[in-house]
Amino acid sequence: MNQFAFESKQKIFLLGAMGLGVVCMVLTFLVDDPLHTRFWSNFLHNSVFFTGIAFVSLFVLAAFTTAYSGWHTLVKRIWETYSLFLIPGLILMGVIILGIWGHFHHLYHWADPAAVAEDEILQGKSAFLNKNWYTIGTVVILGIWAYFAWRMHRISVQEDLQGTSDFSHHRRYRYWSAAFLPVGAFTSAALIWQWVMSIDAHWYSTLFAWYATASWFVAAMALTILTVIFLKALGYMEEVSTNHLHDLGKYAFAFSIFWTYLWFSQYMLIWYGNVGEETIYFRERLDHYPTMFYGNLILNFVAPFFILMRNDTKRKFGTMVLTSIILLLGHWWDFFLMIKPGVYHTAQEVLGHGAHGGGETGHDAAGHAASTFHAGFTMPGLLELGTFIGFLALFLYFVFNRLEKVSLIPPNDPYLAESKHHTVWPY
Amino acid sequence: MSAPVSAIRDPLIEGGKTYHDITEDICSPTEKTPNLAWIIAFIISASALAFYVFCVAWTVWQGIGSWNLNRTINWGWDITNFVWWVGIGHAGTLISAILLLFRQKWRTGVNRAAEAMTIFAVMCAGQFPLIHMGRLWLAFFIFPYPNTRGPLWVNFNSPLLWDVFAISTYFTVSLLFWYTGLVPDLATVRDRARGLRKKIYNFVSFGWTGAAKHWQRWESLSLVLAGLATPLVLSVHTIVSFDFATSVIPGWHTTIFPPYFVAGAIFSGFAMVQTLMVITRKVLNLQEYITLEHIESMNKVILLTGTMVGVAYLTELFIAWYSGYIYEQFAFYNRVLGPYYWSYIGMMSCNVLSPQIFWFRKMRRSIFVTFIMSIFVNIGMWFERFVIISSTLARDYLPTSWSYYTPTWVEIGLFIGTLGLFFTLYLVFTRLAPVVAVAEVKSILKTAGDQYVGNGAQAQAGTVEQKEVH
Repeated sequence: MNQFAFESKQKIFLLGAMGLGVVCMVLTFLVDDPLHTRFWSNFLHNSVFFTGIAFVSLFVLAAFTTAYSGWHTLVKRIWETYSLFLIPGLILMGVIILGIWGHFHHLYHWADPAAVAEDEILQGKSAFLNKNWYTIGTVVILGIWAYFAWRMHRISVQEDLQGTSDFSHHRRYRYWSAAFLPVGAFTSAALIWQWVMSIDAHWYSTLFAWYATASWFVAAMALTILTVIFLKALGYMEEVSTNHLHDLGKYAFAFSIFWTYLWFSQYMLIWYGNVGEETIYFRERLDHYPTMFYGNLILNFVAPFFILMRNDTKRKFGTMVLTSIILLLGHWWDFFLMIKPGVYHTAQEVLGHGAHGGGETGHDAAGHAASTFHAGFTMPGLLELGTFIGFLALFLYFVFNRLEKVSLIPPNDPYLAESKHHTVWPY
Repeated sequence: MSAPVSAIRDPLIEGGKTYHDITEDICSPTEKTPNLAWIIAFIISASALAFYVFCVAWTVWQGIGSWNLNRTINWGWDITNFVWWVGIGHAGTLISAILLLFRQKWRTGVNRAAEAMTIFAVMCAGQFPLIHMGRLWLAFFIFPYPNTRGPLWVNFNSPLLWDVFAISTYFTVSLLFWYTGLVPDLATVRDRARGLRKKIYNFVSFGWTGAAKHWQRWESLSLVLAGLATPLVLSVHTIVSFDFATSVIPGWHTTIFPPYFVAGAIFSGFAMVQTLMVITRKVLNLQEYITLEHIESMNKVILLTGTMVGVAYLTELFIAWYSGYIYEQFAFYNRVLGPYYWSYIGMMSCNVLSPQIFWFRKMRRSIFVTFIMSIFVNIGMWFERFVIISSTLARDYLPTSWSYYTPTWVEIGLFIGTLGLFFTLYLVFTRLAPVVAVAEVKSILKTAGDQYVGNGAQAQAGTVEQKEVH
């Protein structure tokens, strides 16, 4: 079966899940502080996470195509449709932008003119951290990415319909792929700085953009594995074998280690340098978010490292489903930890409560203890989980909707035969 | 039946080779008297090596004062050369380990020479920290073992010590990897030899018979070593970057250093592989094994890693401004517009701008352009380390101690001397062992030989059919 049918049963299920997400978001909005910080930070967190998965899917597709990879042909449609989510991603980030202009939220300290007026460091950064750049950067860059995604998808579909033996479609596809690599590499950093790093507006790290991208990468692989297994369970993609699963698993494994490598590099260098302006980022997280901090490493390093190290685990559907769920949630957790502490800090300042952790404010022991747990910030609560499920359902609904319109297996891809006979183990 | 190969792939072995042709073509250079080009190259390299020995002796006799390092700029050409050589020593293990895991067939044409080059480059790199000690005979102080030197004990908190372990581990694993790959090929040379030569090659090939069990173990060992070497490719230059990044010196203390150093290392390593391969394939007549396809693939890696390094340069510049930290901002202002502006220009133009010509297929497949570019990249990556090290140190916190540094003839001699060491070893290697992995090239013949895949294959198949009809 090469033609996916998006059944109404599945649609209803996903719409239900989206409904759950909406209910959770409404509830969050109602129980929130006056600034609706929890609601908006959840919105930003999930928008960034899923838009990033779409971006990485396009980047992976471009990289594999440029590198003459053949094995992924049977699963490339999944990445093509994932990458189309950049278009809804633009809308989601557009809501954040509207929020900045309309002062609906206080996610970004630098977007508050009063705060900037009395903050020398923010003034120094204001040439980059301002509403105009945030808007232009997001719209233009996401627009370019979405254009690439749309364009490559279109060439791929044309190849299905009118592919010829001279591989002209594939060659065009390869041109666009190669062109996207530098475009994606240069521009993604700018967006990550604006979307995520600027939440901790004083803080900076040159590695941050690559770190966040690695996190997206693993999340995208995990979601890909889940989608492939789901489609196989429905009887589609029969030719996708344990060999393809094995290779997807290798990517999940390798990039989990790569993510850890970047995590360690960033953490270790900042710890070793011991410069207060830099260490504050981790000090805050270690003191007030210890579960998130250590949990991040357990979910995203310890678990995949030990589970995926062996050859056979990467070839078992059950194990791969479990590991992929851990990794998908794990990197969502990672972005939670990147986003929430800074947002909370900003909100507390705006609300005039003074932020925790400020040395000279002198919390008394009791007061400090009372303020250590903040629903929706210290740890993801049920509302966060519900919101995540809602966004995931939106993502999948969009993906399946697009997937239905094309052949699951690209029949005229020049590497199709290689992919069908792909064998990695035993050699 | 071998796995199907897409018709869009170009062949990696040209000339319709048989297994016997492969053995003959690759092994025969080790059996003949060297040609004139080799002899001239060897005389030049060995002379440079001799000059190296002289410069080391001079440094030891006269002391480190014979270099132009000063109070402000206490690291100069020595560490620049060290990092440059270590970086070059990255391509071999990347090709042999990571590309093996990725099942990239084109690696078989170049992996042997690249691994050899890696080992020689790491040997050259290792010279500099040793010479910099001034008293070479005390080099054993770097090993942590119970001793009678009282409080003189290595500092485990220092990335310089981590470097000792990282590089020696890397060297060991790379050597094992290279030698493991060599064993079947040395046996092939042995089988063609007679007399003493046969005895020697029999000894170094560990009595390899080509039994199925041997191959099975050989394959397993290769994969295990690839798995071990893959993290090493990243860890070595990561730890070299820690030498700088763990400090709090503006321009050095930046978190992007580890992955960016690794990308730069692979970049420079591939450039050196290109330099050597372009010459080797010509001199040893191996154009049908190290084809334009190989050269183009490596040029793509150079374009990729050069652009990654470019992203890192711009990230550093941007974040230096973004940080709002005046010392960081000054460090980068000084890099770009300070007294060493020319080295920044050299770095940017050689590493980031010039590789962009490889966007054009014609350029990627031009031997001449490839050779010139490989030299450019080698120069550019040397400048990168010089920019990071000397130009940063030249302008510290205290303007009264600002200084300028130019090397003495001894420092230049040491650098040229290690080039001599490197090329001498490489030239000897081309005489002793097959420069292309015979067994591995044979393993891809049926899926990458031009009589089996690519446009020519159909034409040849056509002629065969026609012949049969007649």
